[in-house]
Amino acid sequence: MNNANSPLNDRGDNFFRMKHFLLFSLSLFLLISCAKEKIEEYDGWGFYKPSHFPEPHYKFEKNNLTRARFDLGRDLFYDPILSSDSTISCAKCHAQTHGFADHNVNFSLGVNNSIGKRNSPALSNLAWYPNFMWDGGINHIETFSFAPITNPIEMHETMSNVVAKLNASSYYKDKFKKAYGNPTVTDQNLLKALAQFMALMISAESKYDNYVLGKTTFSAAEKNGLQLFRTHCASCHTEPLTSSFGFANNGLDSDFTDDLGRGLVTQDPNDNGKFRIPSLRNVSLTYPYMHDGRFFTLSQVLDHYSNGIVQSSTLDPSLGIGFNFTTQEKQDIITFLNTLTDQNYLANPYLSEKKK
Amino acid sequence: MKNLFISAAFVVAALSMSSCKKDDDTTPTSTTGTVEINMAHRWGNSTTNFLLNMELVHPMTNDTLTFTTFKYYVSNIKFKKADGTWYTHPESYFLVDLSTSGSEILSIPNVPIGEYTDMEYTMGVDSLQNVAGAQTGALAVSNNMFWSWNSGYIMVKAEGTSPNSGSGSFAFHLGGFMGTNNVVTTNSVNFIGNSLTITGGKTSEVHMIVNPAKLWHSSAPLATSSSIMMPGATAKTMATDFYNGIMFDHIHE
Repeated sequence: MNNANSPLNDRGDNFFRMKHFLLFSLSLFLLISCAKEKIEEYDGWGFYKPSHFPEPHYKFEKNNLTRARFDLGRDLFYDPILSSDSTISCAKCHAQTHGFADHNVNFSLGVNNSIGKRNSPALSNLAWYPNFMWDGGINHIETFSFAPITNPIEMHETMSNVVAKLNASSYYKDKFKKAYGNPTVTDQNLLKALAQFMALMISAESKYDNYVLGKTTFSAAEKNGLQLFRTHCASCHTEPLTSSFGFANNGLDSDFTDDLGRGLVTQDPNDNGKFRIPSLRNVSLTYPYMHDGRFFTLSQVLDHYSNGIVQSSTLDPSLGIGFNFTTQEKQDIITFLNTLTDQNYLANPYLSEKKK
Repeated sequence: MKNLFISAAFVVAALSMSSCKKDDDTTPTSTTGTVEINMAHRWGNSTTNFLLNMELVHPMTNDTLTFTTFKYYVSNIKFKKADGTWYTHPESYFLVDLSTSGSEILSIPNVPIGEYTDMEYTMGVDSLQNVAGAQTGALAVSNNMFWSWNSGYIMVKAEGTSPNSGSGSFAFHLGGFMGTNNVVTTNSVNFIGNSLTITGGKTSEVHMIVNPAKLWHSSAPLATSSSIMMPGATAKTMATDFYNGIMFDHIHE
């Protein structure tokens, strides 16, 4: 834990603008007395860099992490008020019990039962992502939420409407006042609060993590699976986050007209058919797999990489004609992949819905 | 204890308000004045006013257009003194929106008094702000000038109806801040022999002429292209033609 979980941050930016020493002392006294009463609340909460992780991409610049802002983001994440007909929350398609993926459906339902053509990805360790979405089109965790809120096939709402609805809610006016010192809801503060909640989705306590940190041992099958993973998969599913956060065509199709993927964003034909290399954390729970959710089991995924690779001009060269895994090898890789399930993450009380 | 807490909180609030006021003071003093840049919108030749919901004929493509939306960003305004030094207005981002009266006047307070010979301004939103996360004011996403699915500001938004478009409407969302698709353009104005005099506590005006017809200065008529929704070569041509067509008119002190 760093100083991010210090209750001092709860007083926000204005606190630091105050100049008078007297005032400073007075406030400090108040903070200390508040903190004493609520010390349990800060226990276990906060942003931290797991010791085996690289430096995070997002560092809360211009968005000082405070408990009140995180709590606001958490309320918003679970509140369907963000959608046009108040039926769809972020959590509807990103359920904690499913590693923050949808409930094992290939395509999520938006407002009016709208359906898209990409699978709701599992969410974890978002502070390490340089960009977001299957095509990487979103360049910042703070502007991320703008996309699902306004997408007609997802929440189908406008930011102005969301802001108006929240401004009409005494509950949220109070929460925004606690978080930002001002009860008036703005889209900037809304997005920043959601970013704080998302950035604290840290999954780093799976059996795999404990093995890497020397805290536990692997079975022979898990070890063999890890070895195979490191040989064939880890160049894209880079450890320990299990993603390089790059984009690759993994040989699903040869015709990309239905969804250009990364090429849609870069407008470079060399990127057509490439999609985000997903993190594999909690992968045993986040089925179905691939950007379009076409595979419902890890067995199907391993069969694909073994001998189902479809050749095309943008196919990732590391896949070649497939890895031709034996049945045992596939089984061992799956046994290893199961070690990426992080029960502490799936049960992290700070990431669960808070009863209002 | 509770009473002490409340009264202490009151003191904190009162003191913090007074200290904020000092920090945020923008009242012009005798050492600074205000510049108002007035963006006057004209269609084609400079005698026809450009307004929303008004049927207009393009002088080059002969398309008939009725605009329902016209919005664009101007940013990073600087003034050059006669001695060659620059005054840069910090964090100046303006969204001109023809549906919001008053937005065509870009007000820049706290400009140091003196004689200024040149002005520089940027059309669009610099790359840094396109990658800086959630913004406020003119740059807030709720202004509907930010692409949700492919992050970046829509720097010019022109929408409306036309009998020449196959769909009966047109929509040009122009932007792009990276590489060859970067439309952001910095324009310089020389006050041509005149100088902009900033007097303490007073407002001086710079009048500019903005001609939305320039969007089609070298772009195809609506029958060929009536919609752009992402950065690219055609967006860049339209945006930069429009930007380069913005003219300095006169100074009014």
